[in-house]
Amino acid sequence: MAETTLTSRKVTANRSPVSQSSGGANSRRRRPLPSGLPWILPALVLSVGLIYYSIGYTGYISTLNWNGTDPNPPSVGFNNYIQAFNDPVFWKALENTVVFFIVTFVVQTALGVVFAVLLHSRVRIAGVYKVIIFVPVVLAPAIMAPIFRQIFAANGQFNWLLGHLGLGFLEQPWVAQSSTALPVIMSITIWEWTGLTFILYFAAMSQIDPEVLEAARIDGAGNIRTLVSIIWPSVRGTTVALAMLSAIGALKTFDVPYLVTVGGPNYATEFLGTFIYRESIPQDNVGYGAALSILLLILALGMAIFLQLRGRERDGAA
Amino acid sequence: MFEVRSLRAKIILQVVVTLLVLPYLFPLVAMVQGSLSGEGWTNYVKVIQVPGFILFFRNSAIIAVCTIAIVYVVTMAAAYGFSKLHIRGREVYFWLLLACLTLPEVVLLTPLFVTATQVGLYNTYASVILPLAALQVPFAVLLTRNFVNGIPNELFEAARVDGANSVRGFWYLVIPLTRPIAAAIVIFTLIATWNDYLLPLVFLQDPTTQTITLIPQFFVGEFTNDQTKVLASAVLTALPEVIAYLSLQRLFERGLSAGALK
Repeated sequence: MAETTLTSRKVTANRSPVSQSSGGANSRRRRPLPSGLPWILPALVLSVGLIYYSIGYTGYISTLNWNGTDPNPPSVGFNNYIQAFNDPVFWKALENTVVFFIVTFVVQTALGVVFAVLLHSRVRIAGVYKVIIFVPVVLAPAIMAPIFRQIFAANGQFNWLLGHLGLGFLEQPWVAQSSTALPVIMSITIWEWTGLTFILYFAAMSQIDPEVLEAARIDGAGNIRTLVSIIWPSVRGTTVALAMLSAIGALKTFDVPYLVTVGGPNYATEFLGTFIYRESIPQDNVGYGAALSILLLILALGMAIFLQLRGRERDGAA
Repeated sequence: MFEVRSLRAKIILQVVVTLLVLPYLFPLVAMVQGSLSGEGWTNYVKVIQVPGFILFFRNSAIIAVCTIAIVYVVTMAAAYGFSKLHIRGREVYFWLLLACLTLPEVVLLTPLFVTATQVGLYNTYASVILPLAALQVPFAVLLTRNFVNGIPNELFEAARVDGANSVRGFWYLVIPLTRPIAAAIVIFTLIATWNDYLLPLVFLQDPTTQTITLIPQFFVGEFTNDQTKVLASAVLTALPEVIAYLSLQRLFERGLSAGALK
């Protein structure tokens, strides 16, 4: 909507005093643009200042053996990093992050696409379904954590449901054993974020030209064929953006594993976020926590650059 | 998208959608049902009667409003500067800002903790507001800069010819024309601050400054494991968010999806 008003204004602007004074390009050269530096300074001071200061400080702390209170902590060089690479918990957290990313991304994408396609078809009370799927996105994970802890407890509603569906043999203490704790954390995350995936695909699918779909139908393509050959390729941009978002989200994961399973049992749901928090704050291994933070930062940046480049490469090929 | 002609196909479609949606409803139902078990509505009365319950909401509101105000002002100015004014080495500054996009907030904990304690900001709203704003600004600037790029330069030139300086250009052109994107920024900043858990957890130790995301922990302490009261407090905390979403549905969906796409 805004764009149409802007283009109409552009036309009038072209006829305004600028073009009368013998060409816009000339007048632009004569009147240099005012400096924008003061305008971007607040953003730079706030974000770049605070964040780069913190990263620099973290980098410095990562070379210390510091408990957070010692006024003269001894420098240990890269020992904290060596310790991290030799720490099985670090590798376990990394492994969990990778598994978590792959599973949540694939399931969310599949569910998001399916919901978007189905709710674009003729379904009654689609508005109600949409609200139910989207509400979890707005709710704070920290608020929902106690509910999920109860649902997946040994005597919780999930086991109750399994029993009533005749699947009683599947009942187990979901969050209390390491084999099922990570799947629980992943399903909570999927519950939380499918709404966003769905809304994005839903919007992307409304951009598809109905005539293309019509043409495919006339050529004899069925529903599944249309989904695979027409709809899925047309929403590729959304999928790339969501891959990026899920990857960074996986690296940032903290609230759900910390509140539902406290990283346990036996590090089964340990993530870099929960690991760094526990080392830095309750355990006072501040130097070690800082080294882990730097490693996390490198991973996040590397991941972003990698996905950005890949996304662009594929765009060029297509 | 899917073509369903026969009645049978329509019914199957409806049943499939319903079955897929049910798991999304299940936790919400479990939450409400759990909060009403035991003493029933009395759970809610007891939760509301806990002194200071309302303070959590006040604190979250203060933090959200301040963060939104800072993010809005700083972002609009920066987008204007980046898009319509002259800056030497502009892209360098822009990339410096964009690199902050991927930053997990846990990385900031230790340095901010040490600094906040030294300058006496520990346990104040500012210790949460400033990092939250700093983390939101890069993305907001990216979005708004793209949006301001779409405003024709001729408009600003015309204003300049008419004698308007850059402040007036900002006030009379940028502010009114960026309203659609501003709404998105307000919404995703609101969700990010309202739902944030880690920063309040570390920086706000005093219950009179704590935010709503710390409510479950507070009530676990208060009612020593009376789960029904904890669930009642969770329902009361989730309610404003659900009401806000239902009444501003479009805005929330657009704002949050702007948060996911460039």
